[in-house]
Amino acid sequence: MGSLSSSLSIAVQSLNAASGSLQAANNNIANVNTPGYTRKVPILEEMAPVNEGNFSAGRGVELEGYQSVRDELLQNQIQQETQAQSGANAQLASLQQIQPTFTTSTQDIGTQMSALFSSISSLSTNPSSATSRQAVLTAGQNLVTAFNTASNTLTAQQAGLNTQVSQDVSQINQLTQQIAALNPQIAELKATGQDGGTLQDQQDQLVLSLSKLTSVAVTQGTDGETLTTENGTPLVVGSKSFSLQTTTGSDGMTHVLDQSGTDITSSLTGTSSLTGGDLGGTIQTRDTTIPGLLSQLDTLANKFGNAFNTVQALGYDQNGNKGGEFFTLPATPAPAVPPAADPYPGAAANIKMAITDPTQIAASSDGTAGDNLNLARFSALSAASIVSGQTPSDAYASLVYQVGSLTSNANAESTATTSSLAQLNNQLSSVSGVSIDEESANLITFQQAYEAAARVVSTIQELFTVTMSMGTAAAE
Amino acid sequence: MRVANLLPDIQYQMQQSQQALATATEQVSTGLRVNQLSDDPAASANMVRSLAYSANVDQYTSNVSSVIPQMQTADSAISSIVTSLNTAVTLGTEGANGTNSTQDKQEIATQVQSILSNVIAQANTSFQGVYVFGGSDSTTPPFVPASTTYTSSQGSTASPLATTTALTAGSVTTISDATTGKTMTYTAVAGDTVATLQAAIASKVSDGTLSVGTSATINANGQLQVGTNSATAGIVVSSNDAVLGTMNAAPGTEVANAYAYVGNSSINTVQIGDSMNAATNVPGNQLFTSGSNVIGSLSNLITTLQSGTTTQIGAATEAVTSALNYLDQQRVPLDNTMTQLNSQESYLGQEKVTLTTQQTALVGINMADAATNLSQAQLNNSAVLAAAAKIMPQTLLDYLK
Repeated sequence: MGSLSSSLSIAVQSLNAASGSLQAANNNIANVNTPGYTRKVPILEEMAPVNEGNFSAGRGVELEGYQSVRDELLQNQIQQETQAQSGANAQLASLQQIQPTFTTSTQDIGTQMSALFSSISSLSTNPSSATSRQAVLTAGQNLVTAFNTASNTLTAQQAGLNTQVSQDVSQINQLTQQIAALNPQIAELKATGQDGGTLQDQQDQLVLSLSKLTSVAVTQGTDGETLTTENGTPLVVGSKSFSLQTTTGSDGMTHVLDQSGTDITSSLTGTSSLTGGDLGGTIQTRDTTIPGLLSQLDTLANKFGNAFNTVQALGYDQNGNKGGEFFTLPATPAPAVPPAADPYPGAAANIKMAITDPTQIAASSDGTAGDNLNLARFSALSAASIVSGQTPSDAYASLVYQVGSLTSNANAESTATTSSLAQLNNQLSSVSGVSIDEESANLITFQQAYEAAARVVSTIQELFTVTMSMGTAAAE
Repeated sequence: MRVANLLPDIQYQMQQSQQALATATEQVSTGLRVNQLSDDPAASANMVRSLAYSANVDQYTSNVSSVIPQMQTADSAISSIVTSLNTAVTLGTEGANGTNSTQDKQEIATQVQSILSNVIAQANTSFQGVYVFGGSDSTTPPFVPASTTYTSSQGSTASPLATTTALTAGSVTTISDATTGKTMTYTAVAGDTVATLQAAIASKVSDGTLSVGTSATINANGQLQVGTNSATAGIVVSSNDAVLGTMNAAPGTEVANAYAYVGNSSINTVQIGDSMNAATNVPGNQLFTSGSNVIGSLSNLITTLQSGTTTQIGAATEAVTSALNYLDQQRVPLDNTMTQLNSQESYLGQEKVTLTTQQTALVGINMADAATNLSQAQLNNSAVLAAAAKIMPQTLLDYLK
């Protein structure tokens, strides 16, 4: 049997539930543009009924709490895709800066090699011409400058990437600290059966920011999320975070160490070359991509220079002396075991002209002034397989292709991951995103519920008044 | 699927259409489909090769242009010499007429002498400072007056040279003979002495390179003396051996109307095609002193006119005719090269066009296509923006009262 006071308490419960739900809708609308916000829905449960014999009376509604609508699997996928995108973008940014050096222009290596061969051919029509001889030296100098510039562009990129590594590591350390600080707080909430709510949202955003920087593996545990790098180096365990350190290695590059001092640099590039976040992509570019290009460049410079020196030594200059060197090259170090990545380090950076006096060009094959037959040997180099089985121009074309296709691949990966991320974010927003239209409709729903409950309260109030005045003069 | 917010999608679409618009604009303004290496790595690599070929073709064309005038100079010098030789034959025939007096023959001899001077001047033609008939030794005149005797600058009565004096290893001594038209080149090796040089000269006399009677001796002044022992046979001697110093013609030993060839027999080549080299010169000894010896035969004609018999004059004139015929044969390679150069010039022009077309095909874009792409991209972009403008502002709140 119901009573007015139990009806009143049901109505009050309703008011409570409605105003609580309004608050949830309000909170959602307020946070419509907050990044990483998952919408909260009020959990309304019917209160357990009261049983009196055969009579079962409901006791109204209870607002149990608020539930964040999450999809952890999607979150995880987004983290992975973000890693891939950041890794690709890091590579792309570097390569786009390197590309112009190898693009055909008036100063690129290919054009200057052609110019040198042209100047030599031109000299062959009049080997005694001082102007033509000077032109050969100028062309040689231009080629040397082109080699030097290309090499310097690559090494300057590496230096810039070193700075990037340091910055990324310090950001990673900040983020892991923040994530670790949240773990105990979230664990507490979960222990009481609630969901992590706003704190979990915050932590997820931090993990997403971290994913941009490096590849992380996330596992859930009783003391919160455990984060490690892809190969197991711990970053966050419970309330503790583990900092990474940087140090300059013997190769002059910035290396990343874990907290115990182990060098983990090469493991950060990820399992395929384009995951690993910004740090992984940066390390990949700095330690694999650029050295590969440098090696090809140095080989070209070394073989080209040595071939020219060999021909120069076969001939005689205008003073009747045997030719010396045409180009100066740095000494080639002894072959290392296992073979070094770059067998001719510094060749392109340090190649210089060995002759400054035009009369020293060894044009003559037999010492006669006016003989041009040694020039034919120089010219023959343009079609000779002097660079690891390729002609100089083919070797340069290969290098150009390499740079172009690396950039093109990074670009494709960047585009693909961006598109993928757009899709995934769509899906996530479909689950967790706030729809203003929906919340507006909810506002109306809960407003009506509130109004209805309020009306019940005022009805009951009137009934109370009637009841109280029963049996008094006013009731007549 | 529940749609919470349209904005991210709209932003993504706008980004895509902006990107397409940017690409289309770049293609229209540069006329290139490939503006950076990543646009088409394979095409970029092929472009490198194609440009290298183009540069070669340009250079070959330039070489052809440089070389043609030089060869034309040589060609016209030879034509001039041919004319002179024809005149000499006429004069010689006139001189061989038995009715001539000694004075008549002297006058004819004088005329032939001036023809010879003219021929020598032509043989010493230069083009922009390059002597065209010296073989590869093109920095000094190839035909110089010959003398009977040359002496070394080193050696004196106080410190004479001797047959046992060692010569510098690697030094080169040359003796060019005006009569035979041939040259002896002697390169000393370690251990050689003046005696070795003497023996070498003797052997060259035996094989006909040098005139009979040519020898090297140590004279009364202690100098090395190389002479022909004949008043009418002339030589030119040079040496870069410091032991001998320079070889100078002994004063008063110059032989009238005798010239020796001091160039070499090398032929310079210039590349005018990928596997095509053109010989850019014919050596003077090949043209003028070998075979029937243009220069030698003219000298001989002068001598016989001055002091020979009618028969001898007749024979000398015959020799000039043979020399003329020989010259006509020897100039053929020069003419062939000129023809080759001219046809190569037009071939190279075609090659250039082919390569340019290839390069456009590799990285260029047809202007019509580019313009169409651009207007399409603009259209798409406008559509996306218009759609976004329509959709974005609307929420339910606009409609609730």
